[in-house]
Amino acid sequence: MQVTEKTLLFNSVAFFIFLPVVVVLYYFLPQKYRWVILLTASYFFYGSWKIEFLSLIMFSTLVDFYAAQALHRQKIKWRRNILLGVSLTANLGLLFAFKYLVLFLPSVDPMIANIYTVDHPFLGFLLQGVYFSIPVGISFYTFQTLSYTLDVYHNRIEPEKHLGHFALFVSFFPQLVAGPIERFSRLMPQLKTKHIVSYARFQQAFRLMLYGFFIKMCIADNLSPLVDAVYDNPSNYAQWSTWFGTFAFGLQIYTDFAGYSLIAQGAALCLGISLMDNFKTPYFSTSIGEFWNRWHISLSTWFRDYVYLPLGGNRVSLIRWVVNILAVFIISGFWHGANYTFLIWGAIHGMLYLVERLINANKRLPQTRLVLFAGGIAIFISVNIAWLFFRIDSLEQIPEHVNALFHTEGVQNLTLSIPIITMLFTFVLAEIMTYNSRFDQLLSKLPTAVRWLIYAGLFWCIAAWAGVTNHPFIYFQF
Amino acid sequence: MGQEIKHILSKGLVRLISIGLLAVGFNQLYTTYFLEADLDDHGPMLLELNKIADTSDVIYFGESSNFTTHPDDYNTLRISDNIAVKHPNYSFGTINHGAYHVGMFLPLVKQVQTTKEPKTIIVTMNLRTFNQDVIYGPSEANLRLASRFYQPTLPILNKVFASLNHYDNRSGHERDLLKWKAWTYDTLVSTDDSVHFKVNTIRRWCEVPKFLDSAGVQDNAKRQLADQYIKAYAFQIDDSNPMVQEFDELLQVAQQKNMRVVFNLIPENVEDAAYYIGDNLVWLMQTNRDFLVERYTNLGATVVDNLELLPSKHFLDRAVIPQEHYDAKGRELVGLQVAQVL
Repeated sequence: MQVTEKTLLFNSVAFFIFLPVVVVLYYFLPQKYRWVILLTASYFFYGSWKIEFLSLIMFSTLVDFYAAQALHRQKIKWRRNILLGVSLTANLGLLFAFKYLVLFLPSVDPMIANIYTVDHPFLGFLLQGVYFSIPVGISFYTFQTLSYTLDVYHNRIEPEKHLGHFALFVSFFPQLVAGPIERFSRLMPQLKTKHIVSYARFQQAFRLMLYGFFIKMCIADNLSPLVDAVYDNPSNYAQWSTWFGTFAFGLQIYTDFAGYSLIAQGAALCLGISLMDNFKTPYFSTSIGEFWNRWHISLSTWFRDYVYLPLGGNRVSLIRWVVNILAVFIISGFWHGANYTFLIWGAIHGMLYLVERLINANKRLPQTRLVLFAGGIAIFISVNIAWLFFRIDSLEQIPEHVNALFHTEGVQNLTLSIPIITMLFTFVLAEIMTYNSRFDQLLSKLPTAVRWLIYAGLFWCIAAWAGVTNHPFIYFQF
Repeated sequence: MGQEIKHILSKGLVRLISIGLLAVGFNQLYTTYFLEADLDDHGPMLLELNKIADTSDVIYFGESSNFTTHPDDYNTLRISDNIAVKHPNYSFGTINHGAYHVGMFLPLVKQVQTTKEPKTIIVTMNLRTFNQDVIYGPSEANLRLASRFYQPTLPILNKVFASLNHYDNRSGHERDLLKWKAWTYDTLVSTDDSVHFKVNTIRRWCEVPKFLDSAGVQDNAKRQLADQYIKAYAFQIDDSNPMVQEFDELLQVAQQKNMRVVFNLIPENVEDAAYYIGDNLVWLMQTNRDFLVERYTNLGATVVDNLELLPSKHFLDRAVIPQEHYDAKGRELVGLQVAQVL
């Protein structure tokens, strides 16, 4: 992934200029032209990553727009199937080419690829895309457009008639590169609605973004170097440090991705558009099922609606159901990247889910607080150990890491500064308080003085204690 | 809608003022209690500068050429120490850090307070740092992060900008691509009738077979070192070179602060450049030297031209790589040259 200081990351100076400019232009323009400013802004946003990859979004947009139009007109089933096949092949083909093809190709030295790119710019661009810089967000926007075509195919929605509006649905910048993966029926009506300036909405957006920046820049970015150090050389570290580093990745990926999602929600809300919640304190889940209802919700519901239910859901034989569950989890793992480690991560979650259902089917355990608490601890530990497979680059790293967890002779210790400990404590407290609500909702219930104190505290953390790592959001690579 | 906008503007103004006041308070708090730890991690030379700036008549800005020694050296004096020895009446301060170049020296010079008594700054000018290999080097993002912390803005603002990656933080892979583009497309042009480039890009020059014996077999060790010399010195400096622009700004800033500027153009292994590659490469080194000496002399700096000062035997890494690490005698000779202009 190519990131420069000009790339429009949420956590970049450029974004703090870009967003206000877009918001002001958006509200000043008449409703009928607002899609133009949003589409231009979205393409500009995406083009700041790598302008060549805009062509892929445009390709997906055109294929799905016209495929859906044709699907709607076509009444003969086999022809409809062909049209659906065209859309699926085009989108999944792009995804395969830029994300998974590398699995089947010989490895290429990055320097050789660079030399080739210098000599053959066009082919080199493809080579770079396949090997070294996956088009950012390709899995997200591909799944978003796929859901649209599938919904049209199943006659759940009418196709969009305006290419510009549809292009905006595919590329709406707040959620373009890492979701939430929105459905057409939810997002498009909002994009077409005339939104007026609202102080209350700006206030809500500000709160979401402030907390999003806090958990991304202060928690995730501060944990990142600690996690990297342990995962790079687990056997160098004392046992507690290895355990801490391993579990810290669970916290890092959560705060990184949830932080992104909150900022996305806040940015969209500035434009009057409400994006779905993508996380709901997932680490307080008392079961794997609940975890997946609270973690990356837009993706898990996508897999439920477009993979699990079409496979028959739970209205099939037990063996078929087991196969379906495992398939969905393994595919969702593979969605994250072209590495067998993701596959194993998905399979572990699938197994955990099946075991849990088996236990629940016998109804042996009463749902007392103690049982729920024990369940919560078990899920927290299981999920965090499973992250190990998500974080490593290859399976060869597993023996060394596991060995370091249990028999390390390393002596190095991770250093946790007082600011990091303070912020972790603040974060856990905020998670407890937002168990059944969202940060912005929690704040709105507090007295003004307390609210301002919280604002000041978060501002302080972001300004003075944020991490200084050169890491964009983790999920941008998926 | 008009009412709502007025409402937002009035409330927004109050909040903006509050944030401004908070920022001032936060900056004070951060500077007092947390800045030092951040500088320790990311920009240690500012701490060093703060220690020496007020008490030093002369400040030497150097990189590894200043402090690298060899176990066989008869002393471990740095170049800056060798200068100081010759001027016992001046108080000397040294700022040096491996791999630093003008990109880091510039914001540090901006941080030197203007005083009534004019100071002298000696800034290392390393010819190799003007090349594409350094400009697009893999460590550049980290160096630019340090540079971010050295900027003479509010310390808390530097921290915010660093957290938001507001510096040149291109990845190593991307820089490598830019470097190969430059090596492929930047052409070398002769302005001297006696110099003709048979191949006029770094890439093509490196592709030419070298050190072939009578059977046509290549001496790979020598060839690799020869190619290193091409990559290090086969370029032509002009106004658009980013390092030139930073040196220009550094000089301007220093002059505004009433400081005397001495550029120490440190020695390169010209002897080996001639042996491994030949006169064309030496001509490039010399014309680049001439460009720098003329430009900065005209702009009011003192440029100490040490480019060809040292024979090959003084270069510690001569068997491996073209690099400006000198033995004790080499450091002494360079120091002596600079000391003479103070």
